[in-house]
Amino acid sequence: MPGPVMPDQAIGTSMRNKDRISAFLTLLPSIILIGIFVYGFIGNTFWISLSDWGGAAALAENPVKSYVGFANYLDLFTGFLGGGFRQDLVNAVFYSVMLLAGAIGIGLILAMLLDNKPRGESFFRTVFLYPMSLSFIVTGTIWRWMLAPQGGVNILPTYVGLPPLRFPWLSSTDAILLFNWQNLLPIALYLVSLVLIIWGLWRLKNNPAKALVLLIPGVVVGGSVWLWGDLLPQALFMEEIHGFNTATFGIIMATIWQYSGYTMALYLAGFTGISQDLRDAAMLDGASTAKYYRYIALPMVKPITISAIIILSHISLKMFDLIFAMTGPDNGQTGHPALNMYLTTFRANDFARGAAIAIILFIIAATFIIPYMISSYRQRRSR
Amino acid sequence: MAQVELRDVVKKFGSTQVVHGTNLTIEDNEFIVLVGPSGCGKSTILRMIAGLESVSGGEIRIADKPINEVDPVDRNVAMVFQNYALYPHMTVFDNMAFSLKMAGDSKQEILRKVNEAAEILELSPYLNRKPAELSGGQRQRVAMGRAIVRQPSVFLFDEPLSNLDAQLRTQMRMELKKLHLKMKTTTIYVTHDQVEAMTLADKIVILKDGFIQQVGSPVEVFERPANRFVAGFIGNPPINMLPGVFHREGESSSVTMGALTLPVPEARNLQDNQRVLVGIRPDAIKAGDSVTRFPKEWRFTVDVVVAEILGGQSLLEFTAGKNTMIAELEGRILARQGESMELGFDLNRLLFFDPETELALY
Ligand SMILES: Nc1ncnc2c1ncn2[C@@H]1O[C@H](COP(=O)(O)OP(=O)(O)O)[C@@H](O)[C@H]1O
Ligand SMILES: [Mg+2]
Repeated sequence: MPGPVMPDQAIGTSMRNKDRISAFLTLLPSIILIGIFVYGFIGNTFWISLSDWGGAAALAENPVKSYVGFANYLDLFTGFLGGGFRQDLVNAVFYSVMLLAGAIGIGLILAMLLDNKPRGESFFRTVFLYPMSLSFIVTGTIWRWMLAPQGGVNILPTYVGLPPLRFPWLSSTDAILLFNWQNLLPIALYLVSLVLIIWGLWRLKNNPAKALVLLIPGVVVGGSVWLWGDLLPQALFMEEIHGFNTATFGIIMATIWQYSGYTMALYLAGFTGISQDLRDAAMLDGASTAKYYRYIALPMVKPITISAIIILSHISLKMFDLIFAMTGPDNGQTGHPALNMYLTTFRANDFARGAAIAIILFIIAATFIIPYMISSYRQRRSR
Repeated sequence: MAQVELRDVVKKFGSTQVVHGTNLTIEDNEFIVLVGPSGCGKSTILRMIAGLESVSGGEIRIADKPINEVDPVDRNVAMVFQNYALYPHMTVFDNMAFSLKMAGDSKQEILRKVNEAAEILELSPYLNRKPAELSGGQRQRVAMGRAIVRQPSVFLFDEPLSNLDAQLRTQMRMELKKLHLKMKTTTIYVTHDQVEAMTLADKIVILKDGFIQQVGSPVEVFERPANRFVAGFIGNPPINMLPGVFHREGESSSVTMGALTLPVPEARNLQDNQRVLVGIRPDAIKAGDSVTRFPKEWRFTVDVVVAEILGGQSLLEFTAGKNTMIAELEGRILARQGESMELGFDLNRLLFFDPETELALY
């Protein structure tokens, strides 16, 4: 394939420069606006997060903002008063993982069912996609009502003659999967080792050499933490227990309800794009419907899975309105960093700390999105 | 190793019937070509044999067993699709290995069979490539490789060459023929291209609107077409088809088309003054030295309209007694419009058709 330079050379240098200048001038207004309102404000937020803007005089006409370095961040992660934020961060992790598994899993199952053209396919497609058109506030209100102690979900068993459920969906303060924040470092290392070992085992069949590169460090990291974990520095000077709060489960259900129709639509579009011939060929090759999806359809819609993961994980990171509408500030256990950011900034007027939370969220989101952007940019280049 | 038999096979899509009670027997090891214009039901018949479409009526038998209700994979047929239908995310090796993997063959077995097929099809250097990294002809070969690794008892081809350019098509056509000679597997091949049909087939089945028009060897359908449609569909350049009137005077008979009267050598089962359609194959008309081999009454002087030279052959459009015809002539004919020229007509090869029923009259 000829490189992109070829036509340029043919046109000649003066023409090319002229094109460049007019392209630049056309883009300039957007560049300036994005520069100020996106990157400028990110920069400004970062600067505020390094200051001590907050407290009683925060709303003064000319508030005093002095540079304090990373004190706000240190406080959030290890400080005496940061426990709420840390719980929120833990919630966000559970929330993201369960939302991804739920929405992608259910969306995928629905898409596979509809892909086989059952009777009333278009009706069901609309039904499943419908929740997507609601705003989070509406979804939150609906589910708050559904999950009320005496209503909705809890009285479902009574329709079949069973006693009603008594689970306090939204007000529960119980937590499971508890861990001590002091041990954050060993836990993180265990997780790394687990991921490496699982990944390694998975590669073992096809590429043993590469698998060893993953397995050996995995085992070494896991083993050393197990043996010498006590020597690692502790994140806190006192015990602080966090875990998965059971009330979060209702919020996750609501989000899955809203988004599985969306992932269904994504997958269904992907499945429909696979030509009938390919399906026929797989059938003649002896693939059952399940094997068709396992070996042909799912690998072919891998880009859709990746997009769904990116989209859902950054939605779950930014999640604010749904939680606000469902439990909001009423049940602090179900908090979320974005909610915490809002409350810290605009209710407690602690602008510097709110900005620090914003930057932390920004960095987490970037770690998801930047690799995705790089890989999709590479793919486009190589085409 | 299998005979395929269609007994009164009917296919309906909803209320529209597209195949109307087809009867056809394909012998073991035979290479049969279904040919016909687009939309005549060729693919539908093939897909019914493969099990990709249900059969609305009648019965399909493979190796003397009814298979209407048998799952596609258990029919032991392999199909090559027009657009190849290769799995784009798999390498050439995996594409060919897929059916073996589904059948639960061992790793060594798969490796052996795929390598063997790749050897036959000269695909060995490309086994680790993805379909997107192959040329059209190579993809075509992978599609065939995927079919042959399974060692099916019947091969089904649905216009496998129509996505290739003309040169590659000719080449792949010959390879297909060689492959069949080597493998000797019953093959059902669908195409709308009569040249492919003529060159590949042991037996040609000509279809129109879901009805079989004729079944026969390539020579048979060319020289003794069953009806006007077959005569027109088979042969390139197409047959000259002219309205005429048959005359019989005692022992001798003739046919008159406008101002042109041709003697009819063979005794035909036709009435005096019967209106007919006369078919003359372009290659039944000769020029130059070979004209002298014809009797004098078989030679005519015609007016040239246009001559086209195609390498070693020429196409000549001419008028004879106000009838415009095309001749396919050996050698390079240099002739200008309006020039006169003597041509010889092989009148033994005249074809007659009934203008109403369009059936051939022999
Ligand atoms: N799935 C289908 N539903 C309805 N009509 C169909 C379907 N498949 C084919 N047909 C119709 O059946 C006829 C024969 O089609 P096909 O076998 O594909 O023709 P060919 O392969 O000879 O071009 C066409 O008129 C086509 O429109
Ligand atoms: Mg077809």
